[in-house]
Amino acid sequence: MKIGRPDNESTAHDVAAGIAEVLISREAIQKRVAEMGAEVSAACKGSLPLLVGVLKGCALFMSDLVRHIGIPMEMDFICLTGYGGRPSGAARITKDLDSAIEGRDVLLVEGIIDTGMTAGYLLRNLEARQPRSIRICALLDKPARRIVDIPIAFRGFQIPDRFVVGYGLDFRQLYRNLPYLGVLSDDVTGLNNHGQGLVLK
Amino acid sequence: MAVVTISSEPWAFGEELAARVAGRLGFSLIDEKSLAPIRDEVNPGESTRCSTSGSNPPENGAPGSQSGNCVALSGELVLKLAKEEDLVIIGGGAQGLFHNRPGTLHVRLVAARGFRIRQAQILEGISAREAGKRIRSIEEQRAGYLRSIYGMRAADPNLYDLTLRMDRLSVEQALKLLVTAVDEMELRRVPRSLIVGGLLPESPEKRGKGRFANATESEFARFLEFYHIPYEYEPRTFPLESDGSGKVTEAFTPDFYLPEQDLYIELTTMKQNLVTRKNRKVRKLRRLYPDVHILIFYQRDYYSLLAKYGLLAGRSEPSHERISR
Repeated sequence: MKIGRPDNESTAHDVAAGIAEVLISREAIQKRVAEMGAEVSAACKGSLPLLVGVLKGCALFMSDLVRHIGIPMEMDFICLTGYGGRPSGAARITKDLDSAIEGRDVLLVEGIIDTGMTAGYLLRNLEARQPRSIRICALLDKPARRIVDIPIAFRGFQIPDRFVVGYGLDFRQLYRNLPYLGVLSDDVTGLNNHGQGLVLK
Repeated sequence: MAVVTISSEPWAFGEELAARVAGRLGFSLIDEKSLAPIRDEVNPGESTRCSTSGSNPPENGAPGSQSGNCVALSGELVLKLAKEEDLVIIGGGAQGLFHNRPGTLHVRLVAARGFRIRQAQILEGISAREAGKRIRSIEEQRAGYLRSIYGMRAADPNLYDLTLRMDRLSVEQALKLLVTAVDEMELRRVPRSLIVGGLLPESPEKRGKGRFANATESEFARFLEFYHIPYEYEPRTFPLESDGSGKVTEAFTPDFYLPEQDLYIELTTMKQNLVTRKNRKVRKLRRLYPDVHILIFYQRDYYSLLAKYGLLAGRSEPSHERISR
């Protein structure tokens, strides 16, 4: 894991405003994703796995991962509404799978597992469709605030309790195009304001 | 609709288990407290008359007497409710009211007298002698009630489908057994694996104002509800210290319990000196109750959760401006 100033990433300086430090470099990500592709290939050999990417955080990870999977496989995507702080409302699927998964070996591909609430919801939803198996593949595992226990079969990196963006992960839809994983400053997230009181949008 | 009746010996965790079962199954909990407002809706002032005319359960609820009328009214109400929704009913002679009714699970909770005396001592802060006296008195009242209204004997094993020894089982274990029994008897029409939203408790707004102690708890409940995670709010108080007479001098009530995760969550969004005190309580709880899983959400954890969804006021504009150019 490489820690350093984002200025080291010369191609990303225009979108790197607010990044306090690089948590995982582009090179480290690429190396680990290649390893994960090999791990998935070995584990799923003999079956035709369906990789289900959880949009939008998985986008870059998924596209790199599949290029390192050396066995036949299929891809699909699913998208869930994000929590918006409204007084009422419930998670719902805004983009469902195009294919049925009954009897299939499913690999749910996530950019990050944090509290586990999103992955837990999706697992429940997908399990009800009776796949033969369902496993989780996550680039990042942030266990510090885990509420819903999620069995992660393929894990890229376990990271500390930092606010991470880049490589598909966003803050208010920004920073997804960073080629590395960076820690966002508390100024940007609003975490440095909490002593003065919480202000909801 | 499905009905689970729970008949508990005094201080055998009946109320706690009933609340947890109702939360887990998504059934409505019926106890004396929840019946009072319904009684008043049907017959204004009835609950006051009922509560003043007899204890719970009524000592002499013979038909024709004032308390007998209350019993009849409650029985009618509960029978009507059972036609409309799935219920968990604690006490009140429900094993008699719903005797032999299809779609009903009758549960009896028992525990050794010595165990229950100790529970009463801890929870009520009374002597062993006083605890024994109270237990005997309640048992006599309940036995008399069931005998006079339904002509039944509370200890008759034929009245129950399932009897659980609460001095040998934890509440969590009893809860699992009870939910399994409900599923084995196919009382729930939709399999659990296919239920996503149906297990949720009602939203805080529907439960009425003031349910949560503060805005943070209310917001956290919304998170859980958004992701369809069943929870119970402050379902259990853990005694931590007691004085020489057995009176509880320190206790701790975690904010949330997530039954599917078997996890308690305590939200701590307060000043550091209070956090230190709370940390000490949580350490003590972990030592005294090693099987209890608890997660503390500190102020920064909670705000990080909000920040993740962009709900904290932050300096997002500068980076946005740079990208827009």
